[in-house]
Amino acid sequence: MATLSTDLNYLQAKKGLFSWIFSVDHKRIGLLYLYSLMTFFLVGVTLGILMRLELLNPGKDLVEAKTYNQIFTLHGVIMIFLFIIPSIPAVFGNFFLPIMLGTDDVSFPRLNLLSWWIYIIGAIMALSTLLFGDGPADTGWTFYAPYSVKTGTNVTMSVLAAFVLGFSSILTGLNFIVTIHRLKTPGMTFLKMPLFAWALYATSWIQLLATPIIGITLMMIVAERFFGVGLFDPSIGGDPILYQHLFWIYSHPAVYIMALPAFGIISELLPTFSQRTIFGYKAIAFSSLAIAFVGYFIWGHHMFTSGMSGTGRFIFSILTFLVAIPTAIKVFNWVATLYKGSINVQTPLLYALAFIFQFMIGGFTGLVLGALATDIHLHDTYFVVGHFHYVMFGGTGFAFFGALHYWFPKMWGKMYNATVANIAFVILFIGFNTLYFPMLIAGLMGMPRRYYDYLPEFHLPNMISTFGSWILATGLLLMLGNLIYAYFNSKTKPGRNPWGGITLEWQTQSPPPVQNFDRMPVLPKDGPYDFEHKPTIKE
Amino acid sequence: MENNTKKHEGDLHETQHISSYKQHFSTLVALLLLTVVTVAISVFGANLRTLSVATALLIATVKVIVVAYYFMHLKYDHKLYTWLIMIVGLLFVVFTALTSIEYFNR
Repeated sequence: MATLSTDLNYLQAKKGLFSWIFSVDHKRIGLLYLYSLMTFFLVGVTLGILMRLELLNPGKDLVEAKTYNQIFTLHGVIMIFLFIIPSIPAVFGNFFLPIMLGTDDVSFPRLNLLSWWIYIIGAIMALSTLLFGDGPADTGWTFYAPYSVKTGTNVTMSVLAAFVLGFSSILTGLNFIVTIHRLKTPGMTFLKMPLFAWALYATSWIQLLATPIIGITLMMIVAERFFGVGLFDPSIGGDPILYQHLFWIYSHPAVYIMALPAFGIISELLPTFSQRTIFGYKAIAFSSLAIAFVGYFIWGHHMFTSGMSGTGRFIFSILTFLVAIPTAIKVFNWVATLYKGSINVQTPLLYALAFIFQFMIGGFTGLVLGALATDIHLHDTYFVVGHFHYVMFGGTGFAFFGALHYWFPKMWGKMYNATVANIAFVILFIGFNTLYFPMLIAGLMGMPRRYYDYLPEFHLPNMISTFGSWILATGLLLMLGNLIYAYFNSKTKPGRNPWGGITLEWQTQSPPPVQNFDRMPVLPKDGPYDFEHKPTIKE
Repeated sequence: MENNTKKHEGDLHETQHISSYKQHFSTLVALLLLTVVTVAISVFGANLRTLSVATALLIATVKVIVVAYYFMHLKYDHKLYTWLIMIVGLLFVVFTALTSIEYFNR
């Protein structure tokens, strides 16, 4: 093996703004995504807190009804398209996939940089709706027709932004698929690949195959708005339910673009902090593919009350229940991994445990919504809002934060204050559940979603929920403050392997050198979680 | 001129292929003819109603296959790519079938 220059790590190799925004190093691109994603995330959080403030009391508290509609639409567009969909693959996938596969970069580094630039252009387009005309779209992030065809707000720019962002997603997915097929280190077969890579592989196929459908659907809205072609508007011969079909054919698989990478993170955290082989490696790996596959055919459960046929509702309800099987396989295997493990309670593990708890609530409430009879009662109520925040934020959001704490020492070569991180976690966990659990109750009581006002009987759950948003915001600020403080001031060097991890990223320096490895990585004998034959890692 | 050259042993892109002008021209003529048929059916077969949509889709599918097979060189690529395109086609058929089942049972 040729001698590798490891004098400088990827952070030191080049200086200046241009060395970052035109870098083709997958690690730097991962960080570019991280910084931009977190900026948009904080904008989305601010909009969310504004919504909760408006809902503190019945009647108008802060903003007019139309402004409220625009705020929740922009909150949804930012959180879905700018944060959750790209989050784990774009940040941790970009940074760690090549290292975990034992290679020096993704297959198409320039395409990778282009994906980030497309993401930024899409983000600017989405936020520009604030600045001109009648303001941001007021349709909800789903852009349901025929309202989205008729409203005077900036729907066209919003859907064009989502269209552009889709290209970023497709190109990242394509890059990961080719990287996984072509660049695994010698000796690493598919069944010796870390489960995070498996999760990214399944996600990438969804990104590649489903995203074009939303692209063409959004273009159909633009065609309808400008040329009145009569696709979705019934007054000119269109079918609004057709829009819902086309929208959800993408947007339901997109739920798994958001969730599958989080499953991959949890499958990395649990073996490391239990110091034992993951239970059911193949079951977890193949269940990712099964979720991706079944996830394509269950979109109709978002439309049970749309006026679709009884036969359609029956078929989609049965198919929906099927997806619970591979998901439950994962959860049982994760819990079994913890059983009799040498559990080391560190901040990333706390996030993983919170993920399991909250994702289970999200999953079970999903089954309630997948059943036809209960969905009729709960559709378009706050129960649905609570359900998807438990899945998206309680699941993917917490997995993202867990990953950030897990890989922080590897990415920057510094260690954060664990006590503060644990306190921030507790505040975040309490805040999250105080914010979203009352929404499930309000929904069961019949409170409809997407209104800026509500009846007095819904006051108590709304008040508790708004208090929860303040606790959650405090936890978020403390967590981010702790990490930012560590980035600038920490003197603690974590070394190569602070958690006793076994996947390849723990064999290299922290932060990694430009070429990723300063010595040839050694694969464990029996797969990526073979803690019994753990390679010795010297500093 | 047709030219098949072995490039990388064991690689997915095993051969480099240059299509003849004759083949390009024949493909173009086939596509133009199919377009003429589509227009003719839409004008003269308007009373076919739903069947005219199905016919247009059928002709469009044939055109897609011709473009993919000859212009996009699927014919000369590794069979894996044909399989991938067939899987995507199958996915499209399933999407359409599920939506149609819902629509025709309203």
